[in-house]
Amino acid sequence: MTLLPWKREARKPGPQTSAFEDLALPLLPALYNVAFWLTRNATDAEDLVQESFLKALRGFAGFEPGTNFKAWIFRILRNTFLTSRTGLEATRTVALEEELDEQSVAGSGLYPEAAIDRQTPEINLMRLADRAMLQGALEKLPPPLLEVILLCDVEEMKYKEIAVVLEIPIGTVMSRVARARTALRKTLQTQNAQTRERGA
Amino acid sequence: MIDHISQANLNALADGELSSDQLSRVNDHLAACPACTSAALVQTLLKTNIAKAGQRYAMPAGLEERLKRLATSDTARRSRPSGRSAIAGWATAAAILLVIFSGLILVQQGRRRTELAALEYQAQASEVSDLHIATLAAGLGPQVISSDRHTVKPWFQGKLPFSFNLPENLPGDTKLDGANLTYLHNQPVAQLLYTMGRHRVSVFLAERRTGEPMAEKQSEHSGFKVTSVGVGDLDIVAVSDVDPVRLAQLVSLIKNVQTGT
Repeated sequence: MTLLPWKREARKPGPQTSAFEDLALPLLPALYNVAFWLTRNATDAEDLVQESFLKALRGFAGFEPGTNFKAWIFRILRNTFLTSRTGLEATRTVALEEELDEQSVAGSGLYPEAAIDRQTPEINLMRLADRAMLQGALEKLPPPLLEVILLCDVEEMKYKEIAVVLEIPIGTVMSRVARARTALRKTLQTQNAQTRERGA
Repeated sequence: MIDHISQANLNALADGELSSDQLSRVNDHLAACPACTSAALVQTLLKTNIAKAGQRYAMPAGLEERLKRLATSDTARRSRPSGRSAIAGWATAAAILLVIFSGLILVQQGRRRTELAALEYQAQASEVSDLHIATLAAGLGPQVISSDRHTVKPWFQGKLPFSFNLPENLPGDTKLDGANLTYLHNQPVAQLLYTMGRHRVSVFLAERRTGEPMAEKQSEHSGFKVTSVGVGDLDIVAVSDVDPVRLAQLVSLIKNVQTGT
């Protein structure tokens, strides 16, 4: 049994651990933040980060130097989450709808021609939306949309990197980003209307 | 009629994902279209606000230190000593130091080993429980469906870097359903699937790369009972919601058949 790939390369403990730590430790705050958003629980988030960290350390020999470490370790975190009980519950309670057809989000006719208005209600809403309001809107997103928007907006990953993390095509990343933002805008509008009603 | 910028392109604009050609076309359009400019502004503001609001949870103090310690201990545990002559050269000096600090070091090492072993065991219990739950949730049949050990065992030939035996005589209501090839800590392992009455059981057989065979341990994770034991170069970990005594009996049967006892 000498030809098996997982036996090919001997691990070099000292330098590899150091290289791994150099790459992984700066990402811990980001991993923890995303883990907490996904699990919605401090203990589960800590467990998720620890388990992902150990998996990444043990699988580091299989990581190709020069490729995207951040996408690699986030993929481990995400896969670990998906096989956890919380992850399974989350994915089972959300039915994945059809991915958005590019045509259905095409702008033709969406925006009436008019003089530019920098004070439209929606622009004002985006300016006035406070942190709690936005966090509330994020909490309402289903997991597939939440993870894509966290990676895109919070972690500032490119679509290509997100596609690697989530193991989906770039087109699906784009449609999920669009759906997530549409859902966030709708939630913010609803919250705003409710606040106005209460104030009236 | 003006073709407005699609929602996808507005998103790509906010995310900096447009190619230079696309960006140039979009900018030309924005210069002439107030509606699209407003829409682009909304997307950009939303992105900026979400980026701030999404940074919500700060890592607890001590987590980074704990993970650093785990990484160091994990690697040290996996590495084997090399360069025996060099070690021998330092042996005398080390011996003197050991005499002086032996008590302190032993206590610290013992504590660290216990802590590490407990964390590793916890991580293993968590991972096997998750794999078991994932198997049940997937609702798919085993990769090899058979109650015949002579079918299940040969199925793993060439798939695993080790071999194992399966018990022939199982307790009355226990049945082998089949098996899966799966991965634990990025290592290929056999997942044997049994039914005990109405309960499903996963038994994971993995090759141990370092360390002595572990003594039998039982724990509970997410409501599932986990029983582990080592034999020879194999680690056996079983997980189920069945009575822990019955689970231990099955593990014991599988353990004994490896040594022919």
